[in-house]
Amino acid sequence: MSAVAAVTPPVPSTFSGTAEGIAILVLLTAFAMLRAPQSRSQVRLYAFQSLAVAALAGYVAASRHVGDLYALAGLSLVLKAVVVPGVLMRVLGEARVDVSRSQRLSVASAVLLAIVLSVFGVFVVGSLPISSRSLPAPALGLAAAVILVAFLLVIVRSDVVSQAVGFFSMENGVSVAGLVVASGLPLIVEVAFLFDLLVAVVVFGVLMRVHHGRARTLSTEALDRLRG
Amino acid sequence: MRVIAAVTLSQPAIQVLQDLTILGLAPGVSGAIAHMEARLQGRRGPRVAQPYYDLAKLFRKETLVPEDASWVFFAGPILAFTCYLIVPLLIPVLTAYPLPLGYQGDILGGGFLLALAGFSVALAAAETNGPYAQLGSSRAMTFAALIEPSILFITFTVAVITATDLPYFEAAANRASFSAAIRPAHLLAALAFFLVVLNDTGRIPVETHSSTLEFGMIDEGRTLEHSGPPFALLKWGSAMKQLILYVLLVNVFAAPWGLAGSRRLGPVVLAILALLAKALGVGAVFAVIDSSFSKLRLFKITEFMAAAFLLAVLAILVLYLGRGG
Amino acid sequence: MGWDLIALLVVPFAVSGACLVVPRRVAQGLTVGSGAVTFALALLLVPRAAAASALSGWLRADALSTVFLTAVAFLYAATAVFAVGYLRPPGERERSRRYTRRFHSGINLFAWSMAMATLVNDLALLWVAIEVTTVVSALLVAIDGTDGSAEAAWKYVLIASMGLGIALLATIVMYHAGTQVLGNGYEPFFGRLLGAAARFPPAVVRLSYVLAVLGFGTKMGLFPVHTWLPDAHSQAPTPVSALLSGSLLAVSFYAILRYYQITVRAVGPAFARNVLLAFGLASLALAALYLTRQRDIKRLLAYSSVEHMGILAVGMSFSAPVAVVGVLLHVLAHTAAKGTAFFGAGSVVRSLGTKDMRRIRGAIGVLPWSGPMLTLAVLGLCALPPSGLFRSEFLIVAGGLSDPRDAVVAVLAVLVTLASLGLSWFGTQTMLTPTPESVAVGETSGWIVASMVVGLLALTVLGVHPPSALSGLLDRAAAELGVPR
Repeated sequence: MSAVAAVTPPVPSTFSGTAEGIAILVLLTAFAMLRAPQSRSQVRLYAFQSLAVAALAGYVAASRHVGDLYALAGLSLVLKAVVVPGVLMRVLGEARVDVSRSQRLSVASAVLLAIVLSVFGVFVVGSLPISSRSLPAPALGLAAAVILVAFLLVIVRSDVVSQAVGFFSMENGVSVAGLVVASGLPLIVEVAFLFDLLVAVVVFGVLMRVHHGRARTLSTEALDRLRG
Repeated sequence: MRVIAAVTLSQPAIQVLQDLTILGLAPGVSGAIAHMEARLQGRRGPRVAQPYYDLAKLFRKETLVPEDASWVFFAGPILAFTCYLIVPLLIPVLTAYPLPLGYQGDILGGGFLLALAGFSVALAAAETNGPYAQLGSSRAMTFAALIEPSILFITFTVAVITATDLPYFEAAANRASFSAAIRPAHLLAALAFFLVVLNDTGRIPVETHSSTLEFGMIDEGRTLEHSGPPFALLKWGSAMKQLILYVLLVNVFAAPWGLAGSRRLGPVVLAILALLAKALGVGAVFAVIDSSFSKLRLFKITEFMAAAFLLAVLAILVLYLGRGG
Repeated sequence: MGWDLIALLVVPFAVSGACLVVPRRVAQGLTVGSGAVTFALALLLVPRAAAASALSGWLRADALSTVFLTAVAFLYAATAVFAVGYLRPPGERERSRRYTRRFHSGINLFAWSMAMATLVNDLALLWVAIEVTTVVSALLVAIDGTDGSAEAAWKYVLIASMGLGIALLATIVMYHAGTQVLGNGYEPFFGRLLGAAARFPPAVVRLSYVLAVLGFGTKMGLFPVHTWLPDAHSQAPTPVSALLSGSLLAVSFYAILRYYQITVRAVGPAFARNVLLAFGLASLALAALYLTRQRDIKRLLAYSSVEHMGILAVGMSFSAPVAVVGVLLHVLAHTAAKGTAFFGAGSVVRSLGTKDMRRIRGAIGVLPWSGPMLTLAVLGLCALPPSGLFRSEFLIVAGGLSDPRDAVVAVLAVLVTLASLGLSWFGTQTMLTPTPESVAVGETSGWIVASMVVGLLALTVLGVHPPSALSGLLDRAAAELGVPR
């Protein structure tokens, strides 16, 4: 019986099981973005994903009793779950188009490809000797998977909103990774990261508007003049 | 009363009782779900006991055989029904402890039996010349093949968690502690299995359960050419399959509580009642899903399969990552 | 102490803000002044940094960062001069006030962010500064508002941001490596990281390094993540192209070198060098191939940048210190040469009204000053003496031969020759052909000529005889990058 116990992975505690669950939600949201046919639903999914990331930050704050992290969780909640989706929704509202059918691959193929990528990411991270005091180790592998799936989203979708959301979603993955391995990062640096993200959002918004203003569409199919 | 409840049953008797429970309750559960669905959609709906009347009527009817059909046409329903009778011997229907025959087949064994049943029905349908029956059987086999990877990965998850792949042990592992019941790998596997059940019982979003539109049919289409007692066996069998899957879902994954811990009559009867309640609960969930989602286009069903597969793979991944800590 | 470091950051930032409100001519004057002041401050820092690192809280100027700071400041000053001529074309309708305001503010902010990237003393803030450069330069690429510039800006901001996401992951992973030694919640100052790097867990550092090369390499233009580069360089206004190519790529390289420094101390030099070698050779090969089939003059120069970034990466893979000195000199010389070449290309495009090199003929006759100087700059980019690039590539090759890695050096020489062939072929095709009669002869602006003179002068000084203070700086920077004894 003891031999059997040795090969089965240990049952995670309720607390770390919950944290893992939230990290899994982040990943599942990234997969849902691959499927979501409409830009608006993608932005909503992003807001939900950011909410999950903020919850994870709050969880780390609670488990490590760090006041800084509460501030960070609150700030990222406001910025990533409210302000950024708000900006994107506004751009969409002005554009008055809801892009659909921008998938270059069928949903099932894209999801299968994303599964392969996730497995790759998880195994690479799993082979590294990285341990964490703040979050259960699986969260790091899941973060790697989120990053790779977000990359895939940018590649397989050909509209500016999907691509921007893909970038923000990747940033969420990096945030989760940061929570796992570098939750002690000084607050000022974290705030700098967040501020940077906000600036990037504004630039993405400006460029989306420029693109829509010139091309009358949010699709990137027309962006093929520059090559060679 | 107390004396009767204290009567100790022999293990073979309980084993037979498991079979009889499935056999007896299955049409009733189907009827109850149909009734709930109708109510949710604002109709009065059929009686809960309607499936029993249907079966009784069908057994009295004559059997019509398509011209080119051979013995396979008759053997299919019988073989499928036999399979559905064997599976309840292997899974925790009533007891929390493994019964003697419970060691005769693991999850894969049960899965094979269910697959064999599906295959024999499909074969019987292919035997006829009815275009819709053949369409249904080819579709059913295609989607069975597509959902198979998810089932395999769910099995792997169970195997990694318990180091066996006996359903009894998975249920016991989930009962052991709250942490084990809400561990992410288990939740993911349970969710994936939920989707598998949704697919295998021919529910929305995969198939319209109560439609008469042949083009959308997958599982239902296979039985179109059958009549009389073989048709009754098919209907009964599909109700049993549904209940078996519900039992696996609740007694292995979702809620492995309320099972009899001893061989006394009282707990066993309570277990039967608990099973009925749980099955009706699951049925209610399915009825709600049936009424609130629309059917996927046939070529979009692969997305559904991909979702189930994703959840099952994630369960394994999380287990792999968590092996260190 | 440290007032000059602070001034280096305050001046461009303040000017950037001022440019939004003051009239156009004042903005031009302020930009030129700010460029000159920044460059002067950087030059004053050179002898000091050659002796010891200057520190001021969050800022740090050691020899390595001063090399890059000098490159940034020089091109900032030269571009400020060029921009005056660029924005004042004779006979054309003047640009709108809004455009010039945004343009000047953006140029100054861009230079400020690059200077900040070289001066911050913190691994995380380095990433923040480089992300700011992306954001600012993406807006500058899009500023013309044409279809091409919108497309280029979108590709640039998306690809570079994704790359920087990877770089952020690298930063976080490196920070994690540090927590094993320095404890939780430390400030990732370079000095502290370098001091403790020997005890970092090797596998984690390796991961971080590869991610950093990939991530910052996206901005540096390394194959296979260079794809945004030709588009952005060719579609941006010429002053922005010059800054992108001459200094932004160098600043990204600087970020990689910071990771290189830590990695060399944590896991030894072989790993760090081989990663750079692979990326460098691939970039060189790609650029050499594309250089031989370009039609667009600004894309030609952009691919030349990919080539030179490849040379930098390959040069860093040689263990001889002389090769590292060569690499750092190459950074400076490339900044001068590429800036000048872009200025010249901008002048040619303005006079002849096309970027298509099949239609540019006899530019040397049309532009009596900038034509010959562009030819010289292109030949300088081909590393012909007395260009500074000749000296730097000579040092790199010498370092490679003494390493000895003869095979790599041979490949390097072949690819560089191929690239030079492409570059000089198009250079002579467009320059030394008979002048078409329909085009008006004459320079469009004295400012453009002045900026090119400055660039060529710097390039020649670097090639003929670099000042001793600069040599000392390069030696010290190479020592900082080397394996500590």
